[in-house]
Amino acid sequence: MSEPVCSTVDVAVIGGGPAGLAAAAAAARAGANVLLIDRNPQLGGILNQCIHDGFGLHAFGEVLTGPEFADRYVRQAIGAGVRLRTRTLVTGLSADGELVCSRYGARETVRAKATVLAMGCRERTRGMIRIPGARPAGVYTAGTAQWLTNIGNVRIGRRIVILGSGDIGLIMARRLTWEGAEVAAVIEKLPYPSGLPRNINQCLLDYDIPLHLSHSVTCIQGRNRVQGVTVSRFDENGHADSGSEFELTCDTLLLSVGLIPENELSRHAGVALDRTTSGADVTDEYMTSVPGVFSCGNVLHIHDLADWAAEEGERAGVSAARYADGGVVRQLQDNASIVVRAGAGVRYVVPQRIQRGVEEVLLSLRVTAPRGPTTIRAVCGNTIVGELRLRKAHPATMEQMSVRTAEAAKDLEVICE
Amino acid sequence: MSERIMTCILCPNGCELHVAWNGEPNEQSIAVDGNLCPKGITYAIDELTHPMRTLTTSVRVRGGVQRLASVKTAAPVSRDAIEAFRDQLRPVVLDAPAAIGDVVLENVKDTGVDVVVTRAVARRCGKDSA
Amino acid sequence: MNRTSNTQHTANQVADIAIVGAGVVGASLAYALSKLHCSVAVIEKEHDVGTAASARNSGVIHAGLNYAPESLRARFCMRGRDLLMAWCDELNVPYAVCGKLIVAARNEEIPGLERLRTMGEANGVPDMALIDADAAARLQPGIHCVAALHVPSSGIVSPYAFTVAMAEEAAVNGVTFHLGWEAKRIRVTENGAAVDTPQGTVSARWVVNAAGIHAGRLAQTIDPDAPGLYPCVGEYLILDKQAGESLGMSVYPAPPVGGAGLGVHLTPTTEGNVLLGPSDEYVSDPERTSCTGKTADRLLAEAKSMWPDLPTNLVIGAYAGIRSKRTSPQEGGFGDFLIRREPGTQRVIHLIGIESPGLTAAPAIAEYVIEEILRTEEAWEPVPPADRVRRPWPDRFDELSEDEKARRVAEDPDHGDIICRCEGVTKAEFLHALGNPLGVRTLSGIKYRCRATMGRCSGGYCLPRIVEILQDEHGWTPEQFTVRGPDSPSFVGRLLEENHE
Repeated sequence: MSEPVCSTVDVAVIGGGPAGLAAAAAAARAGANVLLIDRNPQLGGILNQCIHDGFGLHAFGEVLTGPEFADRYVRQAIGAGVRLRTRTLVTGLSADGELVCSRYGARETVRAKATVLAMGCRERTRGMIRIPGARPAGVYTAGTAQWLTNIGNVRIGRRIVILGSGDIGLIMARRLTWEGAEVAAVIEKLPYPSGLPRNINQCLLDYDIPLHLSHSVTCIQGRNRVQGVTVSRFDENGHADSGSEFELTCDTLLLSVGLIPENELSRHAGVALDRTTSGADVTDEYMTSVPGVFSCGNVLHIHDLADWAAEEGERAGVSAARYADGGVVRQLQDNASIVVRAGAGVRYVVPQRIQRGVEEVLLSLRVTAPRGPTTIRAVCGNTIVGELRLRKAHPATMEQMSVRTAEAAKDLEVICE
Repeated sequence: MSERIMTCILCPNGCELHVAWNGEPNEQSIAVDGNLCPKGITYAIDELTHPMRTLTTSVRVRGGVQRLASVKTAAPVSRDAIEAFRDQLRPVVLDAPAAIGDVVLENVKDTGVDVVVTRAVARRCGKDSA
Repeated sequence: MNRTSNTQHTANQVADIAIVGAGVVGASLAYALSKLHCSVAVIEKEHDVGTAASARNSGVIHAGLNYAPESLRARFCMRGRDLLMAWCDELNVPYAVCGKLIVAARNEEIPGLERLRTMGEANGVPDMALIDADAAARLQPGIHCVAALHVPSSGIVSPYAFTVAMAEEAAVNGVTFHLGWEAKRIRVTENGAAVDTPQGTVSARWVVNAAGIHAGRLAQTIDPDAPGLYPCVGEYLILDKQAGESLGMSVYPAPPVGGAGLGVHLTPTTEGNVLLGPSDEYVSDPERTSCTGKTADRLLAEAKSMWPDLPTNLVIGAYAGIRSKRTSPQEGGFGDFLIRREPGTQRVIHLIGIESPGLTAAPAIAEYVIEEILRTEEAWEPVPPADRVRRPWPDRFDELSEDEKARRVAEDPDHGDIICRCEGVTKAEFLHALGNPLGVRTLSGIKYRCRATMGRCSGGYCLPRIVEILQDEHGWTPEQFTVRGPDSPSFVGRLLEENHE
């Protein structure tokens, strides 16, 4: 019987998806002794099952599949000397930098001077959105269906209805059609699609898959296996239009109804969370309310492109390395930072706090509703400190804008006109 | 004068292209607005004459730590040829290890396009059947 | 005929007792009988035990408040709770005597609380106290009321853990379980009685009909005057464990002025979740275990009126169970338990209308039925404790101390491999569930035994892990994955055929 192992590292990164890999590589390049911990046998996180392309345009100027994109960052991490611990789950994190890691045959404690949270997200489930009906087999979230199809080599069903027009649902519509299933329809509650127009085109229009906007599934038929779904029309206020129901026969229902940052570990470490993003409240250096704990990627806020998650990871990794080196990393203190607020037309902005005196910060944000040509402005009192002109804006697209905050004295508000 | 609005699928920007052309769509006859890069013009011409798509799918692996390797057409191919690619790929079984870039099928249907591995699969040690 | 050894029954022999239904009552009987030298066969139409009402209730150990004194419900509730807790101790099944608050939202409801206390006192319920709003808030912060009846002796138990644990320990001690056998008819035979199913006939000296919602109809196949039952659905919502951090005891509304019934409760579970429900709706289909949108909305609204800060965004699931009601929709209210013997040979005992407090009462009902049988049967000797095989419900790895976890990981390295992130379930726990003595190989069966897929992400991480383990290490084909049996296949086959191996 061995004693529990306790090792000490400069930076521990929890999660080996694009954000975690990039954070680990950046921290290592900055001179830190880095340990990256991931629960899967293969690094890359969710990218390993995202076998479609569209990754890497911004990061590498190429159009890559998910696994290829992940591979680039894995090589970077290994090349930078990051130590890797796969098939290992972090089950506990304390505010003073102690991680409890569990894997086959071992429970270990790792002490880290700085920790980067990069655990990604989970999917919203049928139970959370309370779709009526019994509990038949054949109801899957789109990401689980993607794993079953692309990794598990399992055929989940023959005739599929997909609820939610986000990218995961659209990609699966095409994937399942390519593998011989019939995708009867994609159902979207909003009056506009949530996924990229590119995916509406190459996943639905190419295959004549009907898209029912302003509709949702109001009942799942079938007791033991899905037999069909009841679909109803919904108005702008989200109320069902009684009398508008129709039935769609199917044996499988896929749910692509939202992603939720996976912050259980963060909660237990006492990290303060932002109610809108469900991720941590962070400074311009991506540090959370717990000193030495940083956050990036989908666990911080849901990204639209892995490229941005990786870039954000790099920024967090650099900050974590600096913190571990004893460098001054400013804290989430009310009197020493300006608060960033989402104003009219803006759903959320990250980071939520900017230290006074910082010259320039890159903000990530999403708008509340789709619109044509628009300008997003960051305002400090009466001064415009950042502006982003867009041909079109959509809640599904995460926008980024630089703000100049060297002179900022008051809190900052981001508004979309 | 013919007109169409289409969404470019070449990258996640998904530019909305306003396309106008006279007679046969080609570089001389076409006017494209809305593209953030020159590829949009090629895309518009292709889409009107012979739409091109990239196929991404899986193939079986024997003796690997995973049952499947993901693959892609190394370049876009005619949308009409996609089904032929899928049919040719279906019986393929790779022997592990498979590396990113390994050619799975060469020059399918004289398109000049190979199918390549996009996710590495290491060899499984011990048991040799999956 | 006296059996002196605990022999496993096979379908072509005559068992001492055949039990129809492996819900909590059938499992209690099997467990109690497994402690005696007799042969027992259990016939269950589903592919696991405890899948119907026994898994779909509030999980409450009732104090004995709400039943007419001298009724069977009162008598079996009071005796049952003691036995239930003793058996849970024997089996290591989790339970907690956390207490209950019955809250009055208006002063007009206070006399109803007083009536409940009086009825409880008549049934021997100890330590009840009528308390004011401040005292209630100290016991359970966040609850809105003007007064409350505090019932300290009320508790909670995991109903499926209890049922499964009893059934599995009975199984390893010689009780035969015929899962997937649907009892169609009971008839008198020269040896006693026989239960006919499409899969086979089971003959026995005694037959106990514990078939839940189907018990009335089944009784009528041998006893045409037996009463029928009315299915009444109760829908529930399940809240995330985060909500459970704020709820330390059950909270029920006071009986509405001018009505009967338990109302919509808030109940913590032994796992740390919170249950909202049940609703109350007569239906015609005895298998209608589906949830409706209107009811879910109503459950949330009623729960919020008792607990204004209720985090409704923490709903993670829903389920519905069917009550076996003796009273018709027109009558409403509750009928008493009916224990009815087949009038001719008296060898068939029907248990009809075992609704609330059925879970609490189950061990006492079992005890009573066995006593009745032993009045005419020759005594079955008890099995000496040393000869008994133990199959305790396993400790939840996630709830152990860090030292104990480290020790177990050293003993069994698969305890280090956590396959369900939300519930902290280890691969060793999963494999233990998979290897259950009843031979249950459904995803639902594995779920109830180890908690995998019962967490907030509903299997987002663990379902792929489970599929991987079963395919890669246990050779399962896609067709073998079912939710609860052959009728509920999870998949339709392979994506890409693997027959080249």
